[in-house]
Amino acid sequence: MAKQELNRRQFLKSGVIAVGALAAVGAGVGYLQKVTTENRINQKFLRPPGSIDEKDFIYACIKCGLCIQICPVQAIKFAGIKEGLAYGTPYIDARKQACDLSCDSIQCVETCPTAALYFVPFKNAGEKAIEKYDKTHRADPNYNPFPVQILAMKKQVKMGLAKVNEKTCLAVLGKGFKGIPRGKDFKGINRSPYGDSPKATPLRDKQYDAKICDVCVKECPMGEEAIVMGVHTNPDGTTGYKPDVLDGCVGCGVCVMVCPTAEPSIIVEPVNT
Amino acid sequence: MFWKKNTTALPVKSKEDMPYTKAGLSFKAWREKYGGRHKWRTIRWAVLISINGLFILSFLLDISMLEGSLSGSRLVGFYLMDPFNTLQQLVISFYTGHWVHLTMNFVIGAGTILVFYFLMGGRTFCSWICPYHFLAEWGEKLHNYLVKKKKIKEHAYNRYLRYVFWAGFLLLAFFTQNLVFEDLNPVGILSRAMIYGPGLILLWILLLITFEIVYSKRFWCRYVCPIGATYSMVGQLTPFGVKFDLDKCAHCLDCQNVCLVPHELWFVERGKATNQRHDVGADCTRCGLCIDVCPGEALSYTIKGWDRIL
Repeated sequence: MAKQELNRRQFLKSGVIAVGALAAVGAGVGYLQKVTTENRINQKFLRPPGSIDEKDFIYACIKCGLCIQICPVQAIKFAGIKEGLAYGTPYIDARKQACDLSCDSIQCVETCPTAALYFVPFKNAGEKAIEKYDKTHRADPNYNPFPVQILAMKKQVKMGLAKVNEKTCLAVLGKGFKGIPRGKDFKGINRSPYGDSPKATPLRDKQYDAKICDVCVKECPMGEEAIVMGVHTNPDGTTGYKPDVLDGCVGCGVCVMVCPTAEPSIIVEPVNT
Repeated sequence: MFWKKNTTALPVKSKEDMPYTKAGLSFKAWREKYGGRHKWRTIRWAVLISINGLFILSFLLDISMLEGSLSGSRLVGFYLMDPFNTLQQLVISFYTGHWVHLTMNFVIGAGTILVFYFLMGGRTFCSWICPYHFLAEWGEKLHNYLVKKKKIKEHAYNRYLRYVFWAGFLLLAFFTQNLVFEDLNPVGILSRAMIYGPGLILLWILLLITFEIVYSKRFWCRYVCPIGATYSMVGQLTPFGVKFDLDKCAHCLDCQNVCLVPHELWFVERGKATNQRHDVGADCTRCGLCIDVCPGEALSYTIKGWDRIL
């Protein structure tokens, strides 16, 4: 009996410590959440395709790493402990390695078990595209709905919106670009829309020689629907250039990766925050 | 059968009935001759290292065998989910309405893990897969050495504390709308660090293991870890376990000394056993250390009911 009493007292005593510890963790998390909510929005992580609203994303993501694992160009990374409560969630550092949409089926979204990357809209868009294709191409001997489906799914991506910095953009300054955009040692890869390679190739293997720099326009995986080189006449009569970002921009960040200026003259503003 | 279980202790065996007398040896010689094997420990460490290694290789070599991490993974395309992560996720998303979007893979993954660990004995995960357990096992050795040398004192707490933490972490998840435990979870942290590269968060692991070595033996695993607590609940009625045969026991207590959860082996003490046969409870990690060390082979793996059928 006495031993039982002792056990109960021991349990109650440790229990108080435990509840105290939990309360401390809770207070810490609550505080961090309050402090970093604003921070997080300022920080604006470029999340992988299909990411749901940031406040839901933070709990829906169980930090398993399946999206990181499956990305063929390894664009997705884990956020470190410096990001506070966003620790362990996936993000894309577009300047180092952008999501070039060269994958077969937006696998990162498809693989997510908790719908932090939400696949249903992609699936629906793909199926709709197949239906439409079916109606017109049923008798076609080269019947292949796959490219149509994957294109429709890629159009569904909306990670962010590109924005040109007019102060440093070479095209706006009227300058050309010759050489390798990010230097010989840059490790990033992408699949150019104009090339015939089915896989992403290193950016350092690509040579440019343009009178007016148009690397971002050329390399954009979404093509003319996303970015075009705008030509206008300046007040003084000379011709001015500026890359125009259109509605088709999915925010993949390839333009950020390929931009040859020291600091990227085009950035992607995430939309998920 | 449990409804007919004897609850009063059986009489203590006489010296003539002890296994060492039957073997014609002195207690000491018998213990030295038959005790202290490492068969199951070798197998278990091999399994633990190869499963974690498979995670690493899957990412490094892109072979898609075992993808993800211990928080959630895919075994050749088949999803598996960490049970406490699943619980936290459900608690939050039932409130926010996100649960309608959870995929079928999530349900299948969580269900598979629950069924598997129900069959295999709950905390089997801890000693056979968990990378933190592997570290803590070495930490425990060091801790025991320090205690033996009287450099430090032992600090033990009530083991039911982990249910307080279990409920507490679920409440925290609910109130902060964040997977709080996943930020502290050494299993996930270690798993991610091994597969996807280390980070500063490993300092937390260092802090934990240091605390366990110098202050309280296996503090995290015993008193805090809600994953282990979940597995304990899952393993309450599990068929696979370790059985104890009183006839072969000489009460040397070697098994209790090596056991990671010694309270599960209460029946090996002299005059404590109430039945000829005992089965270990849900906290047992099925690690096999006691089976290895027992000189009389009184402890062995079993499937409950199976031997009766045979």
